[in-house]
Amino acid sequence: MGERKNDILQGTLALLILRTLASGKRLHGYAITAHIQRVSEQLLRVEEGSLYPALHRMEQQGWVRAEWGRTEKNREARFYSLTAKGRKQLTQEEESWSRLTEGVARVIRYV
Amino acid sequence: MLQPGRLQKDLERELEFHVRERAEDLRAGGMSADEAARAARQAFGNYTSQVERTRDMDINEGLERLGRNLRLALRGLTKTPAFTLTVVATLAIGIGANSAVFSAIDAILLRPSPFPNSDRLVKLSQKNPKNQDAFVAPPRLEDWNRLNSTFQAITGYYTEDDSEISGDLPEKLTRALVAPRFLQVWGVAPALGRDFTPQEEHFGGPNAVLISDRLWRRRFDGNAAALGKTLRLGNYSYPIVGIMPASFLFPDRTVDFWSPSPMDAPYAQSRETGWFTAFGRMKPGVTLEQARANLDTVQADLGRQFPKTDAHMGVVVKPLKEATVAGVKRSLWMLFGSVSLLLLIACTNIAALLLSRASERRHEISVRFSLGASRASVAMQLLTEVLVLSLAGSLLGLAIAGEAARVFRALAKDLPRVDEIRLDWSIVFYSLACAVAATLLCGLFPALRATRRSLAGSLASAGRSQVSSRNPVQFTLVGVQVALAVMLLAGAGLLLRSFQELGRVSPGFDAEHVLTFHMSSSWGETSDQKVATQRLNRVLDGLRSAPGVAEAAASIGLPGLPTQYAIELNTVEGLAETEPKMIAQSRAVSPGYFATMRIPLLAGETCRDDVNASGVMVNRSFANAYLGGPAAIRRHLTQPGNWPSSEIRGIVGDARESGMDREPSPTVYWCYSALQPGTYFLIRTHGDPTSMAETVRRKIHEIEPRRSVYDLTPLADHIADAYAENRLRTILLAFFALTAVSLACVGLYGTLSYLVSIRQREVGLRLALGALRTQIVRQFLAQGLTVALLGCVAGLALTAVFGRLLAGMLYGVSAWDAMTLGAVVGLVLAVSILASLLPAVRAARLEPMQVLREQ
Repeated sequence: MGERKNDILQGTLALLILRTLASGKRLHGYAITAHIQRVSEQLLRVEEGSLYPALHRMEQQGWVRAEWGRTEKNREARFYSLTAKGRKQLTQEEESWSRLTEGVARVIRYV
Repeated sequence: MLQPGRLQKDLERELEFHVRERAEDLRAGGMSADEAARAARQAFGNYTSQVERTRDMDINEGLERLGRNLRLALRGLTKTPAFTLTVVATLAIGIGANSAVFSAIDAILLRPSPFPNSDRLVKLSQKNPKNQDAFVAPPRLEDWNRLNSTFQAITGYYTEDDSEISGDLPEKLTRALVAPRFLQVWGVAPALGRDFTPQEEHFGGPNAVLISDRLWRRRFDGNAAALGKTLRLGNYSYPIVGIMPASFLFPDRTVDFWSPSPMDAPYAQSRETGWFTAFGRMKPGVTLEQARANLDTVQADLGRQFPKTDAHMGVVVKPLKEATVAGVKRSLWMLFGSVSLLLLIACTNIAALLLSRASERRHEISVRFSLGASRASVAMQLLTEVLVLSLAGSLLGLAIAGEAARVFRALAKDLPRVDEIRLDWSIVFYSLACAVAATLLCGLFPALRATRRSLAGSLASAGRSQVSSRNPVQFTLVGVQVALAVMLLAGAGLLLRSFQELGRVSPGFDAEHVLTFHMSSSWGETSDQKVATQRLNRVLDGLRSAPGVAEAAASIGLPGLPTQYAIELNTVEGLAETEPKMIAQSRAVSPGYFATMRIPLLAGETCRDDVNASGVMVNRSFANAYLGGPAAIRRHLTQPGNWPSSEIRGIVGDARESGMDREPSPTVYWCYSALQPGTYFLIRTHGDPTSMAETVRRKIHEIEPRRSVYDLTPLADHIADAYAENRLRTILLAFFALTAVSLACVGLYGTLSYLVSIRQREVGLRLALGALRTQIVRQFLAQGLTVALLGCVAGLALTAVFGRLLAGMLYGVSAWDAMTLGAVVGLVLAVSILASLLPAVRAARLEPMQVLREQ
């Protein structure tokens, strides 16, 4: 595969998915990708190859709940929503993310 | 492998939806439909691998996960065929032996008897002070049946051999004479035809027989027209009124037909002589204790009514199953215990192998952990591997068990219910349960240990074989194996020694070159004792004149077989109050018996054939114990009751009449030579007794053309058969023990070899630094021997604890026989040295430079 500048750093995908679902809406996989791309103004691109394994792992961990439903175009799709456990996980991941970025930023700024 | 399950379909649907949405968006952005679809699909990458990867994430789907584990397990196992074969073979032996013994236990002890509601069937016997388990007299049987309130019915039977003479040659058939209500008690109906009518059960009523399925097939080709045909016995014809089902083998499988024994016959009115083996069916809801109490009351009433015969009489009530299988129960459970130990050793062995294997796979396991696998999933995967091995082992084990059951049936044909041993679903389930138990037993510990987190940290250092930890666990497992093997071997050794001792005793008679056989006759013929005596003597004289025959005699029982028939005696002169009661084994023999069996005459003379003046011989123990040795001659003995007195004519040497494993006890020999059913003929031959069979047949045919000769067997074989159970359990235990020792040695060898292989670098280094090769050998040897020694000590301790379980089966050795135990320890240590020497020498032969360069 070709190089991609905007690949998501390993480990942050879960955070992004959790954040996306935090609005309380039920979203299907494609909508999650679309949301992340739109909000990041195309800076981030979610690779499908990582998205679904991640979603399933999160479901297994009990962070998200999945159920079959219909889209507004009346197509069958699997919808994901956040669980209470997932919300707690989100807080943790946000914290560790900000620690990481702050740390990285300090190192970069240090002359 | 597995069908794509619901999960896979769900995934495909979900991903398809995603691709479709994307294509739609791209089209909305101005692409053509085809282009959009292609681009969308392309962006997605390898579709199938996505499905697989996503699916692998989901471990909720147990089956699919199991499928994956199985695939992995098979892949891993085929990569190491030697390991796989060793483990499967070890488990197959362990599970096979276990299932085989279990199938015997299941058939003989656990499965209910093949009669409806068999838990309500009991065996009844009358007991008096001199005999605990006596046959029941006909009037008493009828009284019990009439007066009790806890039984549906009580019945009885006795057997005799008859000659059926409707064919070209007389054929010996075994007949069971049965009291009324016989089939009612068993709850079994004839497969064809009917039960006896009340008229047929009365004296002088019409004749009738029920024939066995076996006789029906042999003589009548299983044709229903057999009903109404007749059997010809002596001077009478017996119409066949019914055919019993094949499963009805009572009293045993040799019975050919059943006929009524009329309880109102004139000869069946004495309360003094019993010949019925009695059985009863308790009413529903009645307990054994209630039935016992009830019959005790009934018998007490009879004692008041018939004080002379019934006052000291009691009733013994035993469950049918206990009565038939009690004798083999201990042997079977002992064998089951030993095969379970064997399986335990096999599992321990495999656990040690798995531990070694797991350490070789540390790298693989660490990689899995670092990829995010949970401990449970890695452990599950390791366990799956063991499960595959145990299942393969148990399937192979079932095949072994099937064969073993056949061998068992052939070797132990005298065991009760042995022909019910077969492989059925309960055995299959049992061996599967064994497989699961074995998986947990030998797999769980290695799996948990291998997946310990600390090991996961070894990723960095894996691939480097530094001096490894000391492997105490593996050595503990080997030690346990040695201990268990020592215990089994000690048991086998003790049984073997008893067997040897038993063969070494001098029985007081000479069983070699003696042929025994029966000649058909009936109880009816015994009514004229004079004729019966003349007939027997004519036959014996004829036999003595045959070439190759040295001596001939007749006897009601055979010497050396475990039979007890104790009676109480008195002298005509009377015994003083202070003198002990005279209890003796009772034997009825023809006068030639002592010469034939080579039992020496010590004093007096051998009794003569004389119907009018009956004589009796006593053995030395009897004379010494009760009548002051040689003074016993010419004293007169009587039995309580109205028996004529008999004069003691002579004293003979002590012989082990009632069992090779019993010291000779006081015995009286009634000189009695009237032919009766069950009489054994004994002939001493000059040559091989078996080669005389044809001569004997021809001679008897000359003298008694209407009688059949059967059961021609050397006396030595009879005695060997009587101890067949003894021999069988000795052989089996010895076999299990040797297997156990070999397993333990393989375990020791494997563990030491493994140790040598991981310490190659260390050994190489030491050799390079100038260590002597003998030092290296000594070090590994010492390690192996320490484990073996500790195992032996533990094994001896176990033997001391469990040895008393064997105590009742031993003869002539104590359960702590120093010589046997010493030999066992010596053997185990010798084999352990061999097993340790090979890896130790291999370690010492290492080329230091090569090893150091390689690693």
